[in-house]
Formats: sequence, structure tokens, C-alpha cells
Amino acid sequence: MAPPAGPPGRGRSGRSVLTGVLIGVGVAGFVDEVVFHQLLHWHHFYDRAGSAAGLVSDGLFHAFSWTAVVVGLFLLADLHRRQATVPRRVWAGGLTGAGAFQLYDGLVHHKLLELHQVRYGVDLLPYDLAWVAGGAVPLLVGLVLLRGPARPLADLPR
Amino acid sequence: MSGTPLTAGTATGQLGWLLALAPPVVAGALYLAGVGALARNGTAWPVPRRLATGAGLCCAAVALSPPVTAAAHLFPGHVAQHLVLTMLAPLLLSLSAPVTLALRTLPRRSRRALLAVLRSRAVRVLTAAPVVVVLELWSLAALYLTPLHGLLHTSPVLHLVVHAHMVVTGCLVSWLLVGIDPMPARSGTPVRLAVLVVLAAGHAVLAKVLYAATPAALGAPAEVRRGAELLYYGGDLVELLLAVAVMAEWWRRTGRRLRAEERRSLRAPVVVGPPSGP
Repeated sequence: MAPPAGPPGRGRSGRSVLTGVLIGVGVAGFVDEVVFHQLLHWHHFYDRAGSAAGLVSDGLFHAFSWTAVVVGLFLLADLHRRQATVPRRVWAGGLTGAGAFQLYDGLVHHKLLELHQVRYGVDLLPYDLAWVAGGAVPLLVGLVLLRGPARPLADLPR
Repeated sequence: MSGTPLTAGTATGQLGWLLALAPPVVAGALYLAGVGALARNGTAWPVPRRLATGAGLCCAAVALSPPVTAAAHLFPGHVAQHLVLTMLAPLLLSLSAPVTLALRTLPRRSRRALLAVLRSRAVRVLTAAPVVVVLELWSLAALYLTPLHGLLHTSPVLHLVVHAHMVVTGCLVSWLLVGIDPMPARSGTPVRLAVLVVLAAGHAVLAKVLYAATPAALGAPAEVRRGAELLYYGGDLVELLLAVAVMAEWWRRTGRRLRAEERRSLRAPVVVGPPSGP
């Protein structure tokens, strides 16, 4: 690996990861809301099986996820404005955030708090396995991308 | 759909329109007078702020107009009115920075009085982030989860007081989050984002509780469920706009600092290593 060519300290690794995590969490929440609640109608708005804690957790995650998209996009624009974006770290953060959100949704919201299920009137096991795998795989890829060298966008060959 | 007071007679109809249109028209006239006073001093007031005022006052006028007020007797109509009057209009009006405009154009004595109010202990406490959060969530819970909502239809005075309270609370939230006008206790961007997330979560939880419980005081169960979903998704939409407003203010502020740093680094010679003292 060639050493970074530009002036040192220009890229912002930590800020890039944070930006990615916020966008990743937000996109995962958005996909959950739009695809599974609105388009497929697999999830129910509220099936009344869950506890008060589940309701509060769901509300906080719902509110956090779309606020995170807005904040993440503004942070990304700010990184570009400073020419400090480290793309590999943005992707790492994004996949980690999306995967972690999906895992939390699948394990805590669906199973532990029983807020609502992936789908109703079917054998749940394959759906739950797919749901958890859909979280675990991006999470692992994201964690791999967090390691290893990464260069800021300004220093990448064009 | 019978029983709506749409046909309550032209006299009360005209009074309704007058009551709906008078506050926005007076507010708009005062705002325009301020913009005109600035212009005479050779200072231009930003066009987006003028547009925000117009849009905010139009929203308020529509939400207060007799047809909408009549539709608000059913819960979905009430929710729509609530969303526009206590969330969307305050957001637009806080973007128009009326307090800043007033401080720049009022005569000396009035300006001093306004500053005294802004710096008073009461305003300092009322605009503190935790107070605003508790006030908003407590007001919503009191209005929708207690028998209070049922009492509103029995007393016009109570109706007016509660709605005024909700509008003022909504304004406190918007002014805190948007952060353009001067506030005694100014919160940083992370605090404002946290306030937004907590309030949005509170709205989401309230909507789902209403959806599940369908309190009889709010109307027929089907109506309440429709209203609750409108509260959930409509609230999301306005809160999305609020998030954009919070971050846009951050973007402008950090941009100014960035440009200042660039100007300094262009002027100053390149320093290698830690800068030495003067």
C-alpha cells in the first residue's frame, strides 16, 4: 500500500465513520418503514402484542433513524466541503450502522419485545433468519472495512 | 357528517373568517412595516425570511378558517389542524426571524422593553431545552390521554385557552430548534437534535397509544385510528423539516467559520510545528 500522498491529517477518519453510521442507520430504518410497512404491508402499524418499553424503543428508533439521515447527509456535505472525506470509512460506518440497526430490529424489536413480526400468517423461522442475516452480513463487511488503510478522497487517484 | 356548524348562519360565518384572518393579517402587516423600516435604512431583509413569514401566516389562516375549524370536530380534521397550527406554522414563522427583525427596527424604548422580556428569568426558564421538552410532551399527554379533550367541546373559553397553550408550546419548540432568533439560553446543535429526537419519539408513541386505545372522548374508533396515523406520519414530515432546519443553521454557521479560517491561513505564513507565542 502506498503511503498517503497529500498533506497529513487532512482526511477525517472518525468523522467519516460517524457520517456513515448515521446514514446507514437512517437508510435501514427508512427501508424498514417504506418497504415492509408501507409497500408490502407485512409489518403492522402496531399489533398491540408488545409492551410499553417496546413502544418507546420503537418510537425512539423511528425518530432517531430519519433524523440520522438528515444529520448524516449534512455531515457528508461538510466533509466534502473540507475535502476530508475518507470513502472507505464512510462505507464502513454505513454498513456497520445499517447492519446493527437491522440486527437490533430483528432480535430486540421483533423477538424480545415482540413489537410486531416480520410477516403474519406464515412460518416465521425463515423470515427471521433472513432478517437477522440481512443485518449480520453488512455488519461484518462494515467491521472489515473499518480496519486497514484508508485515504481521503482528495488523495485518491482520479 | 351531520351536525357540522357550517350552516350556522352568515353572521357567525363572517365573524369566524374575521377571527381567522385578523391575527395573521396584523402580524403580516407588522412584519412588512419592519422590513420597510430596514429598507429605508438601506438594509435588505433576506427574501427567504419574507417568504417564510408569508407561508407561515397563510398556514395559520387556513388552519383557523371556519371550514377547517368545522372539520376539526372529527379527530382526523383536528389532527390536521393541530399539525399545521402547532408545528408547521411555528416552524415557518421561526425561520422568518421576527424577533431579530423587531430588535433591529423597533424604536429605542420598545426595543429596550423587548430585550428586558427576552432576558427575564421567566423567558430564560421557559426556553431552556429540558423545560420545552417536558412542557410539550406533558401538554400532548394531558390533551389526548385525559378527559380534557372531551371537555373542550363543552366550553369555548377552555377550547381557546388550550389551543393557545398548544400553539405557544409549539412556537417554543420551533424557536428552540431553528435557533435563528436570539434566545436567552441558546442550546448547541447536539442538544437541539436530541430535543428533536425525544419529541419526535414522544409524538410517535402518543400516536401509537391513541391508535391502540382509541379513547372514546376523541370520537369513533375508526376515526381515532385514522387521526392517529395522520398524527404519526404528518408529525414525521414536519419533524423531518425541523431536522433540515437545525442542520441548515449548523451548515451556515460552520461555513462562516471555515471561510474565516481559510482567510486567516491565506494571510498568515505557513507555520510548521506548534506555533510559538508572541
